[in-house]
Amino acid sequence: MRALGVLASALLLAALLLAWFVESRSLAPVPLTPTLTGEIEYCLTCHGDLPEISPAHAVQTFGCVRCHGGERLALDADLAHSSMRGGANPSDLAVVEASCGGSDCHSGPALATTGTAELDRDHIQRVLTGIQATYAGAIAQMRFTFGAQPDLKARYGIQAVKAYRMDNELALPELKAFDPGQESSPAVLQFAENCLNCHLWSEPLDGPDSYRFTGCSACHTRTAGLDAEQQVHDLTLAMPYTQCNTCHNRGNYDLRSMEFVHRSDDPADRMHDYYQPIAQFTRCEWTLDCIDCHTRQEAMGDGNLYSHKKEIQYVQCLTCHGTLDELPLTASIQRQDELAMRLAFLNPVIDLQVGDSILVTSQGEPLWNTRLLDDGSYELFGKATGERFSFNPAMGSGCQQQVDEQESRYCHECHAVER
Amino acid sequence: MKQSSKMNRRDFLSWLGKGLLGASGLLGFLGLGRFLSYQPDPPPQTRFDLGPASQYPPGSSTLVGEAQAVLLSTGSGYRALSLVCPHLGCILASENDGYACPCHGSRFTLDGSLLNGPADQPMRELKVELTPDRRLVLDTSEYRS
Repeated sequence: MRALGVLASALLLAALLLAWFVESRSLAPVPLTPTLTGEIEYCLTCHGDLPEISPAHAVQTFGCVRCHGGERLALDADLAHSSMRGGANPSDLAVVEASCGGSDCHSGPALATTGTAELDRDHIQRVLTGIQATYAGAIAQMRFTFGAQPDLKARYGIQAVKAYRMDNELALPELKAFDPGQESSPAVLQFAENCLNCHLWSEPLDGPDSYRFTGCSACHTRTAGLDAEQQVHDLTLAMPYTQCNTCHNRGNYDLRSMEFVHRSDDPADRMHDYYQPIAQFTRCEWTLDCIDCHTRQEAMGDGNLYSHKKEIQYVQCLTCHGTLDELPLTASIQRQDELAMRLAFLNPVIDLQVGDSILVTSQGEPLWNTRLLDDGSYELFGKATGERFSFNPAMGSGCQQQVDEQESRYCHECHAVER
Repeated sequence: MKQSSKMNRRDFLSWLGKGLLGASGLLGFLGLGRFLSYQPDPPPQTRFDLGPASQYPPGSSTLVGEAQAVLLSTGSGYRALSLVCPHLGCILASENDGYACPCHGSRFTLDGSLLNGPADQPMRELKVELTPDRRLVLDTSEYRS
């Protein structure tokens, strides 16, 4: 009996020592009170080694919980992560409004209503109705090709969605959710099964070349070439072409098997190895990054629902080079708070000043990484590289173009690079 | 008859049991003491003694880093402006001719007026008190309307 008492005492002491040991090894909480929320959070206790995600989202200002959600006071990992939005990616389109939205953040008023940059905050509404999120063009194309609809006008998107804006004659009022269960064509069914993975709602294809996040981070988080297991905490406006290529240059769908045929090009030599062998490219197309020419509206949408990507693609060679008859469109920067100035601040590859003249698209969007020089030539700074390029207008040059022939294929006749 | 000084098994177990219980009790008391003496993090400081008002001559502009504010001596009195950007709360950096937000690019003049957005209001004003012994006390707990 006495021995049992000793054993019980020993077990009690061992339990207390164990509890003391465990307690002494637990991490000391690292508090952070972001100036935006004013509410203390302890996420940095474990995540203090993460790099700041971007200068515009300083952790001392935003903290973690405003974007990621989660239990801000919890020190247990499972509890702390239990209410996070979108797992590791709060920009997933299913949760993006809660994570990135708000009138002061990314779902505020549109630029068109005021013309001032500070109100250009309807990014989420535009992305949700943009062709990269709806995938309406591909769905319409396939349904038309295999007889499921009489024309190429889009009727379905990945999700049901209503137009955010209706100020384009091609714009659709709404799209219904594409439902393979309502389809009868075997080809469309196969398309639905195999091919619905190149849009912002979908997870990426397998393989490091295709590794990307969903939602905003599909483009704005540099994942190209990284291992999927690698932790990445990055938001950027300087997306290199390799990030675009995680969707746009990985191969093609075989229309007979409706399967994606991955290309195994070595991206080390961009001109010779990367692009499709039969296509032609000018120097701009294999030297610049995609975002050096293609604009925010082209990539994210303008709020209208379109049937095809061509309806929102309007940057052409003439946007920067003009024609034999006309110089490219330019605009002079009048105020410090114009959109061009703000974008140049957020990605400071060019020292833009009030009074500078910059190129603008036919839609009036500023190509803020360009500038008209005193001698009539232009300069462009790579948004991802900062590299400076200079170029001249077609007008006054030896160019022999027909003024009404402005598609890239006409420019390729003389300017395609020999490969 | 001579008693043996050797502890028998019963006594040894008794002492061992008491020793273990005592150690457990001591450990328990230490844990209890630690629990009862726990002090939560103090609330952030909101009142800052800036010292004698005479240190701030008219026309001067003084950064008060710990309060994330700037004190302006205007000649007719004292004004304090918060360096927390009224847009989203980044801490404004001092420039030659004013203040600028390092996160989103808003800019303000030296007296806090808005030069350009995305902020849509001037720098926010804080309360400054002049005590009877002519010391300045800055209160960051609320903004002046």
